[in-house]
Amino acid sequence: MGDIKEVLNRSSVFGSLGKEDTERLKPLFDPRKIHPGDILATAGEAADYFFLLATGTILLAMDGGRSVVLNTCGDFIGLELLSARGIYTSRLTALEKGCVFAIPRQAFLDIIQEDSPGASAIMTAWHEYLEVTASFTKNIEDEGLLEHF
Amino acid sequence: MYGIEAINANNGWAISVVGITIVFSGLVMLSLVISQLHKVLALWEDPSKIKALFAATKKEGPVPEDSLPKIPDPDHLTDSQQETAKQFALLARTMDDHFSLPRLLHLAQISGLHSPCSNLNTLLKAKIIIPDGSGFFVWDKERFDRAIAS
Repeated sequence: MGDIKEVLNRSSVFGSLGKEDTERLKPLFDPRKIHPGDILATAGEAADYFFLLATGTILLAMDGGRSVVLNTCGDFIGLELLSARGIYTSRLTALEKGCVFAIPRQAFLDIIQEDSPGASAIMTAWHEYLEVTASFTKNIEDEGLLEHF
Repeated sequence: MYGIEAINANNGWAISVVGITIVFSGLVMLSLVISQLHKVLALWEDPSKIKALFAATKKEGPVPEDSLPKIPDPDHLTDSQQETAKQFALLARTMDDHFSLPRLLHLAQISGLHSPCSNLNTLLKAKIIIPDGSGFFVWDKERFDRAIAS
């Protein structure tokens, strides 16, 4: 099972954070082992957690049959990629044995709503990551409302 | 001489302790064997794993984490992987050229394919199934033909 500090540093979403921000995020992440066939999130259910991939492969299935395969250490699965208004909009299925770190959705939203360089860096990196990973995802018009996720 | 007196006189306590120990040890060993039986059955079902096991033990030193997950070479899929790839190919043929990956996985699951998630992952890593950039996937027939021809 990977070390959360190492995974955060390797993540394209969290990798640019300073040591202080990383240390603050670390305790929020809870490691979970995944096995092929495990369902981490089901569309329509309450979105309690977002996920950070350490090892393994995850299939993110969206509405309309579209999907993304995530298999890079540090891939972040959250926000509009996974939920809307506190409800999962996508289904997460583990395709390979590995490990993810789960972070409570509300705790993550609280952090990115702060008026801080760390929160700003996360959101900037997130949009760049989304553009690379799933550029086809529909842009949400009212991005200013973080409760949307 | 009867009862406790007879037990004491004929080492009854020691004999019963030894007996309990033997029975308990036997049960522990039996439970260990049963708990590991699924690994033996997995090897029985897929003998190619035995080759992979020996190949892995030949490697010297620890495998660096960065090297994982290993990308399967489509030219070197195991026999069982080739069979599964053929089954996935049949399912993919029933779909559009640019198909939904979750839909393919669902079809594989309801068709009763062996380990659909793991095998789908193998096809993705072998780049037989590749993303088209719009959220759908395409089947690389050339790579697939090469994989099943080897």
